[in-house]
Amino acid sequence: MFDGLHESPKGVDLKKTYDAIVVGSGAAGGMAAHVLTSHGLKVLLLEAGRKLPIEQELRSMQWPYDHPRRGEMPPSSHGLTRNEYTIRQPPYAQGSRYQHVYSYVQTWGGSDYSKNIVVDEKDHPYTGSNYAWVRARLLGGKTAIWGRLALRLSDYDFKAADRDGYGENWPISYRDIEPYYDRVDEYLGISGLKEGLPHLPDSLFQRPNKFTTAELRFRESLQKMGRLITPYRAGVTTDGLKHNKYRSKCFGRGACGRRAGGCDIHAAFDSPTGLIYPAGDTGNLTVCTNATVYEVTVDRSTGKASGVSFLDTASRKHYQAKAKAVVLGASTLESARLLLLSKSPQHPNGIGNSSNHVGHNFCEHLMGPSVTGLVKDLVGKPRTLDDGKPGSFYLPRFRNLADKRSDYIRGYGFEGSSGTQIFPGHAYDTPGFGAAFKKQVRDHAGAFIEMGGFGEVLARYENYVDLDPEVKDRWGVPVLRFHYRFGDNERKMAADMADTAREMFEAAGFEIVSVQRGLRTEGWSIHELGTARMGTDPKKSVVSQFQQSHDVKNLFVVDGSTHVSAANQNPTWTIMALCWRSCDYLADRMRKGEL
Amino acid sequence: MSGEIGRRDLIKLGAGAALASAAQAAGKPKFFTPEEYALADELTELIIPADEKSGGARAARVAGFIDSTLAEAFEQPERDRWRQGLKLVNSMAMEAHGGPFLTCTHEQRVAVLTRMADTKGSFFEELKARTIRGYYTSKVGIRDDLEYRGNSYQREEYAGYLPGDSPGSIKEQL
Repeated sequence: MFDGLHESPKGVDLKKTYDAIVVGSGAAGGMAAHVLTSHGLKVLLLEAGRKLPIEQELRSMQWPYDHPRRGEMPPSSHGLTRNEYTIRQPPYAQGSRYQHVYSYVQTWGGSDYSKNIVVDEKDHPYTGSNYAWVRARLLGGKTAIWGRLALRLSDYDFKAADRDGYGENWPISYRDIEPYYDRVDEYLGISGLKEGLPHLPDSLFQRPNKFTTAELRFRESLQKMGRLITPYRAGVTTDGLKHNKYRSKCFGRGACGRRAGGCDIHAAFDSPTGLIYPAGDTGNLTVCTNATVYEVTVDRSTGKASGVSFLDTASRKHYQAKAKAVVLGASTLESARLLLLSKSPQHPNGIGNSSNHVGHNFCEHLMGPSVTGLVKDLVGKPRTLDDGKPGSFYLPRFRNLADKRSDYIRGYGFEGSSGTQIFPGHAYDTPGFGAAFKKQVRDHAGAFIEMGGFGEVLARYENYVDLDPEVKDRWGVPVLRFHYRFGDNERKMAADMADTAREMFEAAGFEIVSVQRGLRTEGWSIHELGTARMGTDPKKSVVSQFQQSHDVKNLFVVDGSTHVSAANQNPTWTIMALCWRSCDYLADRMRKGEL
Repeated sequence: MSGEIGRRDLIKLGAGAALASAAQAAGKPKFFTPEEYALADELTELIIPADEKSGGARAARVAGFIDSTLAEAFEQPERDRWRQGLKLVNSMAMEAHGGPFLTCTHEQRVAVLTRMADTKGSFFEELKARTIRGYYTSKVGIRDDLEYRGNSYQREEYAGYLPGDSPGSIKEQL
């Protein structure tokens, strides 16, 4: 491990002017650190959370019976439930008797493995409308537990406004970002199968996972409808990466489905081993954890960014660091919060916010509609190993491509899985008790297939976050207030998702076990986007196509906040490709003295 | 003499330890009374019994798992629910068959449990859910009953597979 990692401002040179300060260490911040240091820039990376001994947290291969609570966290800690998110209003931890309250992140494998990765809602409240806001404050951010689905966007997404007249086009097209997707693929590794779909471009894939019997049947059946499922496109190196000593290839341990994500051998991409440690090895990177940035400081004479103010979360002491450029990768909502917090005479609405669009056009992916089916002839079949892989299948978008629906615009895809898993969840729904019950659970294990949809939520100016005028977090920093709701397009799309999910399973001959039609709480996908969008018009957007602030040319925002629309693809790979492109631009302009 | 333990003492110690662990399994629970433990043990075994394939809830020590969960439960009502639930089982047995549950015959026990299972919202639901959780997270449930093959390093071909056209690749599958 490189030695530039500090848990306190000790080791950070507060007198020095760094070439760039990067705020946040997740997919965006990590990528910025990688690209900028590779150009020889001296970079200070500030992360609000701790550096966790992540392998000890994840304990990917611990058997449930070797854990004192079978994977559950201590009873004085509480993970918010689906009901709580809908019935109650934020701040969700308010008045709770529990010692710690965590956002929902739990698989059957237990919350004890992820509780330290997500924030304690008691320390980090937010207010306003219902929203399941999952935050991971640690070195690596949410990449420590991400779901690994790594998809590309296409011009069906970048130029969607041209196709259906809604919203804004992105200021880039697929041609602009394609070489950067390629670089991300090669540098970080991605598993998948080439399909040649125009609306879901292929990556430079390493070996994909196999299909189960049920999935093969499903793929065959979908062909007749002009649709398909493809092996899960996982941001996981299945063949290994010779250039990265911090990561291992995937060994199919099946650990990813049992935890809330996370990989203790780092076959799945995470920002520390994939980006930050290698960047550290260039000698150009200083990393400081427990450093919460609460303001982008401004040079009063030029109006440009001069650096950042941050507080040490442990000592609560305040510091300032200086840089020629400030790069925000704090996450969609935290970057927006930081822009809004950074008020000055030159930037009275917050830095980079002359458009009043910061916090607005907030979008994500809706979740909820899903289907579970039983593959009857698999009942009672010998046990197979089905979960030893980074993911199962993905069913790409098929709506509003060649056709045009009258009831809603844009589209959705499904993520699914089938086959044997370590825990037979169907036992809870199996009636009765005794020998017959036990045999039925055993015989049905491995015979189910299920999938759930992810749909595009339209970017709307009226969906936004702002600063709560009263409520502050544990460190006295004003918190975000949500003004966010699904609309008519989302509800109609969700209804169609549930219908098509059922139809496709029925067509494949699967017996329908259940169909969920309802929407889950806003935020459930953990794919929040859009709060500082890109664009060519400084009146309607916050940053340029190179994620450079229209107002402040040495300020860049490189995370999901810049996405113009949510599309329906999981955003991580796009966040990193865009960030790479922008940081190349930043380094070039800095070299030319044009920042 | 301190610090020196003879072979005979070791044998005695071994026997003692075996007895102690049996007592702990059967009679020294952290939350349940010994009577409650015995009842919970029998109820979980009725829900997931041993069969020709694998051990049941008793072999998987499901009652012990439930006992530790309840011992440290954050909410008192969670504990009360179990205490009252177990009482209810006994009073139903008493009413229908004239004695506490554990004095009933197997058929009578099944009859009591069936009656509870038919009542929506009854203690049976909680009993069954915890038994499922305890059993299928145990070694007996995972390894013996469901013969789960994962959670191991796949060094050759794994559920992903070898690149190119090697046997078992997806190109062969499709």
